[in-house]
Amino acid sequence: MRRNKGGVNGFIHEIVKNRYLYVLALPGILFLLIFAYTPMVGHLLAFQNYRLSDGLFGSEWVGFRNFEFFFGSKDWLRVTWNTVFLNGLFLVFGLGSAVVLAVLLNEVTGKWFKKTAQSFVFLPYFISWLVVSMMVQTMFSSTEGMMNQAFTSLGFEGVDWYLTPSVWPSILTFVYVWKVAGYNSIIFLASITGISSEYYESAKLEGASRFQQIIYITLPLLRPIIIIMTLLGIGRIFYGDFGMIYAIIGDVGVLFPTTDVIDTYAYRALRQMGNFSMSSAIILYQSFMGLIVVIFFNWLARKVDPNSRLF
Amino acid sequence: MRERLFLGFVYVFLIIFALICFIPFWIVLINSFANETLIQTSGYQLFPTSFSLDAYTMLLSGNQVFRSYGVTLFVTVTGTVLGVLLTASFAYVLSHPKVKYRHVLSFLTFFTMLFGAGLVGFYILIANWLGLKDSLWALVLPYLLNPFYAFILVSYYRSLPYELNEAATVDGANDIRIFIRVIWPISLPVIATVALFYALQYWNDWYLSLLFIDNYKLHPLQMMIRQLMSNLNAMSYVGGSQTDYNIVVPTYGMQLAIVCITIGPIVFVYPFVQKYFIKGMTLGSVKG
Repeated sequence: MRRNKGGVNGFIHEIVKNRYLYVLALPGILFLLIFAYTPMVGHLLAFQNYRLSDGLFGSEWVGFRNFEFFFGSKDWLRVTWNTVFLNGLFLVFGLGSAVVLAVLLNEVTGKWFKKTAQSFVFLPYFISWLVVSMMVQTMFSSTEGMMNQAFTSLGFEGVDWYLTPSVWPSILTFVYVWKVAGYNSIIFLASITGISSEYYESAKLEGASRFQQIIYITLPLLRPIIIIMTLLGIGRIFYGDFGMIYAIIGDVGVLFPTTDVIDTYAYRALRQMGNFSMSSAIILYQSFMGLIVVIFFNWLARKVDPNSRLF
Repeated sequence: MRERLFLGFVYVFLIIFALICFIPFWIVLINSFANETLIQTSGYQLFPTSFSLDAYTMLLSGNQVFRSYGVTLFVTVTGTVLGVLLTASFAYVLSHPKVKYRHVLSFLTFFTMLFGAGLVGFYILIANWLGLKDSLWALVLPYLLNPFYAFILVSYYRSLPYELNEAATVDGANDIRIFIRVIWPISLPVIATVALFYALQYWNDWYLSLLFIDNYKLHPLQMMIRQLMSNLNAMSYVGGSQTDYNIVVPTYGMQLAIVCITIGPIVFVYPFVQKYFIKGMTLGSVKG
């Protein structure tokens, strides 16, 4: 690094020299300041007994009392576990199904069939979680749903799905795979297409079957991208998918034992109980854990394989 | 023989997977045209056995669906246009080798992906400090700069030959003119992809309206779905004629009909725009 004109003068010089470029960047910079960095002040509320009427600077400072309260309740363990467990399921099955889908789509030789199949599996990505939630209801509603219709026509008794917490991790995982497998498979399909055909040709000469080619060529060469995707997923393991969970589960309290994640819990603390400080403490805990996880796994990735780190 | 068997398995698996992806769309569509009493007595149908336009007639007889459509259209169009302009120009600066502070700016952008402000700060900012509660701007402004899309553009701009820039500089054009006249036109395919991502995000979003819109007159379509799924008094919400106790209110039908109305445009343009999304994702997965 070359040090030219230090400090303030250098800064002003740079801004003036590239003024047109900084003008282009100005809206983006303002956006980041206002919508990304200013609200970080909200984390301070975690250490307050915040009241709207007193504002941020007038409210009473209470140290770690909100955290003590949150960690003192049984909820924190439940929502933390649910968040990590559900995200773990989503990560494993989401990536797994996407890899399988990409590999199998790649085996298809008919161009028309491949395009059509891809269009169908990609389609669910384009709809909102609320629409998905409606579709889930057509399946699992206890009186009108397709599942119970199938059950009764087969002679089994119907299940009150929306009253049975234990089935929801599986249902949510299935729904998640349904929605994103096609989307994620595109990333893998792109890297499969990038694999040199020489590998496959020489494997064919050796008499390798298509299945063997998948196991010994395609999957090993997908390893780096799978690792990166896994790292990205792990980095977000403490962030529950609010849009998904709240759309599908909503305020059905019976299902909270297995489906309530940090994000939905914090949302209810804010919007239904009006407890800004408690909600803020929960979110600060979440952001903090998230940051630690990202830094740790990035460090680990750097050690194991310098090319697959995120930053 | 074993090769044939394997290939057969591949096709069967893909057909089943594709069917599973499609069936919920099918069920929503045909049941939105089903007779309400049929759904009430024998549940959602897999194949059409009755035909009724009641749900659509009732939905379209009120004002709410038109209002909501207007809100969604406004938010999607405004958000996409502003978002693309802001993101494309910001990303250009991040990618420009002349800009000394581009790494600082990139880091400030990237850091927001790692450590967010969280719900509470965000809520107070929009609702209290900016006073945007029950304002359509609350649905537009927060999504204008998506770091992920910005970095897709950055990695694309970087792949452009720098000579383009230099030639224009020699001609005496300033950087804003270069961006508008030279960079924007040749980046148009990627910018179009980013625009589609933004449009999809705005069309499908309900998080912002859940947080900031209490006035039902400003509900976008997604909120209308949510209301109809949970609202016991659907008729007054939809805003039809006076409640008539002699008719069956097609509660289920209306839920499905509003879903069809909401996803209709997406499904309609989907075949034409699908390839742009695929291109954008392929670009985005190349590490910049």
